[in-house]
Amino acid sequence: MDALLTKNDKQAESDKQFRGQISGSEILLRCLIAEGTEIIFGYPGGAIMPVYDALYGYSDKLKHILVRHEQGAIHAAQGFTRATGRPGVVLATSGPGATNLVTGLADALIDSTPLVCITGQVFAHLLGTDAFQETDVVNTTIPVTKWNVQVTEAKDIAAAVAKAFFIATTGRPGPVLIDITKNAQNELITELPYKKCEHIRTYSPKPQLQLTNIKTAAQLINTAERPYILAGQGVLLSGATQELLKFAEKTDIPVACTLLGLGAFPTDHPNYVGFLGMHGNYGPNVNTNECDVLIAIGMRFDDRVTGNVTRYAKQAKIIHIDIDKAEINKIIHTTVAIHADAREALEALEIRCDKSDHEDWIASFRTFNRIEYERVTHKEFNPTGKITMAEVINQLSIQTNGEAVVVSDVGQHQMITSRYYRFKNPRTQITSGGAGTMGFALPAAMGAKLGRPEKQVVAVIGDGGYQMTVQELGTIMQYKIPVKIVVLNNSFLGMVRQWQQLFHKKRYSFTEMANPDFLKIADAYSIQARRVENRDALQSAIQEMLGVSEPYFLEVVVGKEDNVFPMVPAGGCVSDVLLELPTTHD
Amino acid sequence: MKQEFTLQVEADNSFSVLNRIVNVLSRRRVTIKKLIASEDQADYTRGAAVLLVYTSYDLIEKVKHQLEKLIEVESASYYEGSNHYYLASEKSNKQSVAV
Repeated sequence: MDALLTKNDKQAESDKQFRGQISGSEILLRCLIAEGTEIIFGYPGGAIMPVYDALYGYSDKLKHILVRHEQGAIHAAQGFTRATGRPGVVLATSGPGATNLVTGLADALIDSTPLVCITGQVFAHLLGTDAFQETDVVNTTIPVTKWNVQVTEAKDIAAAVAKAFFIATTGRPGPVLIDITKNAQNELITELPYKKCEHIRTYSPKPQLQLTNIKTAAQLINTAERPYILAGQGVLLSGATQELLKFAEKTDIPVACTLLGLGAFPTDHPNYVGFLGMHGNYGPNVNTNECDVLIAIGMRFDDRVTGNVTRYAKQAKIIHIDIDKAEINKIIHTTVAIHADAREALEALEIRCDKSDHEDWIASFRTFNRIEYERVTHKEFNPTGKITMAEVINQLSIQTNGEAVVVSDVGQHQMITSRYYRFKNPRTQITSGGAGTMGFALPAAMGAKLGRPEKQVVAVIGDGGYQMTVQELGTIMQYKIPVKIVVLNNSFLGMVRQWQQLFHKKRYSFTEMANPDFLKIADAYSIQARRVENRDALQSAIQEMLGVSEPYFLEVVVGKEDNVFPMVPAGGCVSDVLLELPTTHD
Repeated sequence: MKQEFTLQVEADNSFSVLNRIVNVLSRRRVTIKKLIASEDQADYTRGAAVLLVYTSYDLIEKVKHQLEKLIEVESASYYEGSNHYYLASEKSNKQSVAV
């Protein structure tokens, strides 16, 4: 480092050390290191330059990944966090740099992903003057952050960072943002020892487990004939996968997973009955309206799970376990509300629940799922025409033994991935759930791979979503991040087209895409690439992709107008789930 | 059925806290008819907002929990009708006169 400094720089450095003072920027970096940060995803600009200047001297402790767009930075941080459980850190400049984070913040908030985003801001004396690249970032991001703050003096940086990490990672996790004015970044002050935040007067992230509610829930479960567990991402976030397994095995209750809950329960377990939701499995959807006790754990009854709420599980007593009190009774009225961490609640329930046997009830799911296999899955896996998305995902699942980290984008391919990839382990399914952000997967896969370098990380993306953040191929090239990219190309915005077909009389309004030569794009970034159009080449292409230790791009041309079934039609309830195209719409 | 409620929110007296509170209400399309915001005279780090709103029972209960989810908010409570609001308004006016 010293060799790169000019004499004047050296003089300035020694002057600072002599005075025992450091800049706000350096304090920020030291705080990040104290919080365990090792990797930062970011993009420099005018208002964050002092931090980037300080970062130059910390490159041995903080690895910075220069993305190609701030949206790429925040999705990469999300991927990193979802794969590792550690909070992702993002750096961006003021104005457009900060506003480019908004989509990722909204995505991370709804999907409970802990992130700490730091944005530069204009000098404090210019705030509110419409200065160059000045945007009111705090007010812009209030609705899309768990918490945010503006810091205008260096002395407040350490406390803000400590608070940010505490808030992001505790309770229901979420993204936080610290907006730091340039003068605070430059200001020299005497550094004080870093103190982690462990308490905020107005914030109680850990609810006290109410044993009376646990006992009432246990009584309901012990007397239930058809109890049913819906496992959401809260199980993964609280690290409760073992507790869920123990509880489900003792009580012999069937378990279905939400989109973000996939991986919370092994798909090869006898109690696992499938994936929930609009394009979920037949049995889990139909039996929601047949169960007598519904145990929802760390899930928020998203409308893609419930369908029409006025006809959702009306016959059942509902037990809802959630760490976020605002989620309880928000959508579905609960019989027993357990405002608690999923792990604690499951431990307490398991002790109080009797060993039970629900063989016939579980068998009813299998009966429905067999019908689904015959009418949907079998056709998807053994088609006569073009390659189907399902074939690709099935082959990927077989060749990776369900153990890869699979990052899907948003649309038909996402639902197919969630249906046919047989996830076995926690934190291996990464996707944009609540927000449904197209363009999420490519950068998120980069982040996941950087966080879990030992794992095979595969991004599965549609041709539409791929082109939304395709610029991140530059990041993949620069840092040689060996992600595997599978683009399932149907030259359509497939899910929108499917809805147009089903509900808008096939009026395909602006959903067909003329695509570029994706192989040439990959080639421009020196990424090995292959296109598959014939079924015969699919298996070997996936094998080749998984075998290389470098980034790899695989384009699979799939049926142009294939649909995803089953499907709960818009406005329908879970038991209205369709297994094929209604004849009236043919 | 919609009716008047008085919503009392105790919070940190920090920048943007009022925006955060109003955001929760506007997202839920809860009409704010009147509003008093004040700094705690004994402790400037604390503040309170009292709002007269027009909404349904179901929604006021949900909004209460969403307000309590805000990091800066210590508590949120609601009362039927406007009496509580006007009592708070009277108290606030007296304090202003005293200052």
